[in-house]
Amino acid sequence: MFSEIEDYREALEIKHLRTKNLFVITLMSLIMVITLVYMLVTSFPLLQTISLLVGYLLVIIFNFAGLAYGWGNYRFYQLNKYITTLYIYVLAICTVFIFKSPSTITALFIAYAISAYYQDLKVILISNLFLLFSVVMFMINFPEYMNMQNASLEDQLGISIFFFAFVGILTISSYIIVKQKQFFYNQIALSKETEFRNIDLLIDMQKEVHQEDVNVEKYYENISAFLDEFSKKLEIENAFTDKMQLLLALEKGEQKNVLQDRYPEYSREDLDDFEELLIGAKRKLRKISIKMSHTFDIDVKRREMFSETHFKSFNHQADGLEIKIIAFVVFYTALKRGLDGFAKLDEQTIREALTSTDYFYYIDPRVMRIYQKNSEVFDTISDDILRKKVT
Amino acid sequence: MKDFLRRVFDTEFLPMSEVRKIKVVLVMAFLLIITALTIPFSLFFDYSTGITILILAIFLVVYGLMFVLIQLNKILPAIQLSILYSIGLTLFYTQGTSAFYAYLFFYIALTIVIFYQELYSYLSYGTIITVLGVLYIISHQGGLVLAQDTPGSMYIYILIWVLFYFVFLVQILYNEKLYTDMNYDWVKLNHVIDRYQEDIYIYLDELRKKNKNPLMYEDLDFQKTVDELIVFIGEQTKESGKEITNIFDLYLYIHEKGLDRILENEEVSVSMKKTANRLNKYLLNQRTDMFSMIVNFFSKFRETEKYKPNRYDYSLKKLAAKGDEQVIALAMIYHYLACEVTGKDEWDQMKRIMTEEEIYKLFTGIDSEEFLTPTQIAFFKENYDLFVKYLGNKQ
Repeated sequence: MFSEIEDYREALEIKHLRTKNLFVITLMSLIMVITLVYMLVTSFPLLQTISLLVGYLLVIIFNFAGLAYGWGNYRFYQLNKYITTLYIYVLAICTVFIFKSPSTITALFIAYAISAYYQDLKVILISNLFLLFSVVMFMINFPEYMNMQNASLEDQLGISIFFFAFVGILTISSYIIVKQKQFFYNQIALSKETEFRNIDLLIDMQKEVHQEDVNVEKYYENISAFLDEFSKKLEIENAFTDKMQLLLALEKGEQKNVLQDRYPEYSREDLDDFEELLIGAKRKLRKISIKMSHTFDIDVKRREMFSETHFKSFNHQADGLEIKIIAFVVFYTALKRGLDGFAKLDEQTIREALTSTDYFYYIDPRVMRIYQKNSEVFDTISDDILRKKVT
Repeated sequence: MKDFLRRVFDTEFLPMSEVRKIKVVLVMAFLLIITALTIPFSLFFDYSTGITILILAIFLVVYGLMFVLIQLNKILPAIQLSILYSIGLTLFYTQGTSAFYAYLFFYIALTIVIFYQELYSYLSYGTIITVLGVLYIISHQGGLVLAQDTPGSMYIYILIWVLFYFVFLVQILYNEKLYTDMNYDWVKLNHVIDRYQEDIYIYLDELRKKNKNPLMYEDLDFQKTVDELIVFIGEQTKESGKEITNIFDLYLYIHEKGLDRILENEEVSVSMKKTANRLNKYLLNQRTDMFSMIVNFFSKFRETEKYKPNRYDYSLKKLAAKGDEQVIALAMIYHYLACEVTGKDEWDQMKRIMTEEEIYKLFTGIDSEEFLTPTQIAFFKENYDLFVKYLGNKQ
């Protein structure tokens, strides 16, 4: 719905990527220990044991390095997930070749399970391709590792079909799980932007209804007195004076290049940063204050968690089709009629937003299909009756 | 079908209940294919023909039952049944043959449980499938382990199988925690947004009065447009136009009388009360889901500040790096909260200003975590008298 949320959604992904990386490292280490203990107990040749150990160590060290560099540049976390996905398949295939047993073929499933931790569509694609490639390769070139060598035709068919069936259900499962996770990222990002725009709207409405805005001069006068007294209390010189004057000048809209000449000790970047400390118009501090006052004493009840009452839509499962129709039509007519305080929207704008943004999913598919097919009829009916209305 | 696929591809926009429905439909489709494949495979199983036909008939009946449950929108029972169905199929295979592909069936059954991503289902059904899988490996090792196999390969079968279960168990636990945390943040944020919109509702109503416009739901042209459009859609969906019009009349009536009075009225039927209850979230005379969606829709087209990475940052520490700047910022916020209107009063007028006690509670309580650091809170406490004296409301 809002183009601004893309970056934030990505930021949310990255925030959790580090934890996922740590999980993968832990699992890899656990599998490494189990494999090595097994190889040592069953007296595998030392060279094979050491080569597999080196293989595991390489990917673990790489992951740690990625995590360390990831603090500075999140792209290392992303690099980690792609490289690790590729690498764990290589390790699984190597394990099958070293053990030469059908019992290890399912190590490929473990590789898939580990890569599924990243919950990333590109990783799933890589993982699926690798899994399919490996299964087909073993079926054609090394049927003995899949218990297919001396098997009957129906056994061979069964193994092939159910391997593909397994890969199929695993793929669908991973895809939906990734999408489900994106739902939360999407909703949080959407709510953040909604909040941002609602605060803006609240500020504008406040100004329009009360016909007055924040008295900036009064703020600076009172805060200067406060800072003066605070400095006296600490028995130091008031070090805030310059900055307060500079902030007031910014509040009044003075040009930054003029201010730079007046205050050469501050760079252009400093002046940009100072803008975040303003209180007038729709500045950040005012927004923080509004948010703080509205956050006060909010109690989230346990039963509200995962409750759909917070998901605003016209397509609630419990509602009958009649209610869904009325909800959509009231909504559509309200958009066409317009609302005091908002600019009126034309049919094309409404149609585009309804059919190509999140709103598409908030409406029952049957109702949406009718609207899409008959939007001109909707437009004509509503315009015929509402045309004379001016808001 | 096209709509269903579009919904599958855009699952991230759908609520949990919708996703559950999609999941169970996908599993049903998968199970249908597997059941169809089972018919030819069952010819090679060790069961008698009669038993095979009986079991396949049971599968078909259960499948039919799942279908009915989905039609009735009973998604959770349908999910349980689909898991039991896949366990039944697994047992059918594994008791009928010792072939390698029967072993693969355990992975398929477990993946179906994983697909639903429900912790309790995984802990119950997933554990049962895992135990059954281990027992199968032990009892059918003759069919799985080759004559010249790696030493102890039976243990490898068990180990990889248990590891597969364990890896997904950890993943489901992690997801559960992650989703719960994210859901909490989201629900809390929604409460905050609802509060903004309660204020916006009051302001918009003030503007409407100033512009001398009627209330939307009382506007006869609005009512007539809705009436004609719902009849039009009703005709397309073959719903009774009269029925929809009656519900719309009830919808308008709730605006007039209020939901509580309708629910208290003994003359109103139970089904009408239920409908009224469901319509309540779409009313136009208060902050409802309908109002929120209308406002959010219009907001989309309002000009907004260009995107910056700190657009959604409300923490003072992130906005002001230096200590003196943080002091100024803290003072500004206190002054704003102490002197400006921040909400509606008990008469639903936008005139409420926070009291000193409320601001103190806000600055020092758990709600301040998102905005202030412990150092900033300590500074505030230490200099509270100055804040009140110089920045408090002097009126």
